[in-house]
Amino acid sequence: MAAKIRIARPTKIELARLKRRLRLATRIQKIIKDRLSILVMEFLQTVRESAEVKERLQKEYEDAYKALSLSLGYHGYAPVEQTLMISEMPFSLHAATRNVAGVRLPVFQMEENREAPQAVLPAGNSSLLEYTSDMVRKCLSATVELAELQSALELLGDEINKVKRINNALEYVVIPGLDITIKYLSMKFEERDREEVARLKYVKLLIEKREAYAY
Amino acid sequence: MPIEQEKDDVMAHYLGSELSSVNSQLPKKRKTLSQLLHEEHPRVCCLDGSEHFFRIDELRYLASILDDHEREELLLPMIIEVHSGMSEMLVRSTRGGDEGAVEAKVFANVLGMPASVEKTGVRIYRSQLGAMRRTLKTTTQYVFTL
Repeated sequence: MAAKIRIARPTKIELARLKRRLRLATRIQKIIKDRLSILVMEFLQTVRESAEVKERLQKEYEDAYKALSLSLGYHGYAPVEQTLMISEMPFSLHAATRNVAGVRLPVFQMEENREAPQAVLPAGNSSLLEYTSDMVRKCLSATVELAELQSALELLGDEINKVKRINNALEYVVIPGLDITIKYLSMKFEERDREEVARLKYVKLLIEKREAYAY
Repeated sequence: MPIEQEKDDVMAHYLGSELSSVNSQLPKKRKTLSQLLHEEHPRVCCLDGSEHFFRIDELRYLASILDDHEREELLLPMIIEVHSGMSEMLVRSTRGGDEGAVEAKVFANVLGMPASVEKTGVRIYRSQLGAMRRTLKTTTQYVFTL
């Protein structure tokens, strides 16, 4: 895209203002490029972590379903369902935010709730049910972790798009526009100077001619 | 020749505000590790009014590699200065006399290699940043400088 010359008045003050603005735009572009590279690094790291957690979650769910099917087979469907209905997991979920290069990302923290009563198992002190319960808790923890990573991915992706657009606008529109305007003004002033010199020379010549005729 | 003065003014205003908004995520005041360990929900307030939360696991990890005195010295979040156009970053540090000694110990533990300590702070390289951020997600923050 061809850069447009943006100028209200072709004056030297305007030229100084434009030069100042070009310096500022270049500085901001440098910072934005740094921010972009950091955001991309964080994004890629989150993608890697997300893939690891997904793999782990899949394995944990497999184990949990195996344990659950064993419990169902041993105790029967009704007692296990009864246990699941009345049992309570003693934990709470704390949601907050963390800041990564200006992007607010969610943080979910699972906290053990010591005051809550432990789950009572009507099916007796079944090690199978306890094992199933442990496996489910692990699954839940991994699910929470994955939810955090997925939302972080979305937010980071959006921010990367936004920063990229700003960077492109600066790189391909604003800075070339300022450059070309500064060049245009400089050329205009140089031309004005040259005209001034030519005019002075002409005036000098006229004065010399007049003086020559006077003698 | 097209004259777009209004658009130009908007751009000038935008450029001015962009520079200030880039680092608005910095904390208003940093807290020591020992202070944060005593809080139920450890967090600091940021310049833009938001809150930055610290993971308890990370704080416990830091506490496990530092002694009592160092826990009092270490200010969190650790600020990583990203200088434009440079491959290395600087972690400015504590209020104590040994500038960067505590941070250097933390990074040495995280990276598994000694960190280079300078007068101004601890110097880390871009290649080390990924490993460090992976372990210290909430206890480090970026600041962009020229």
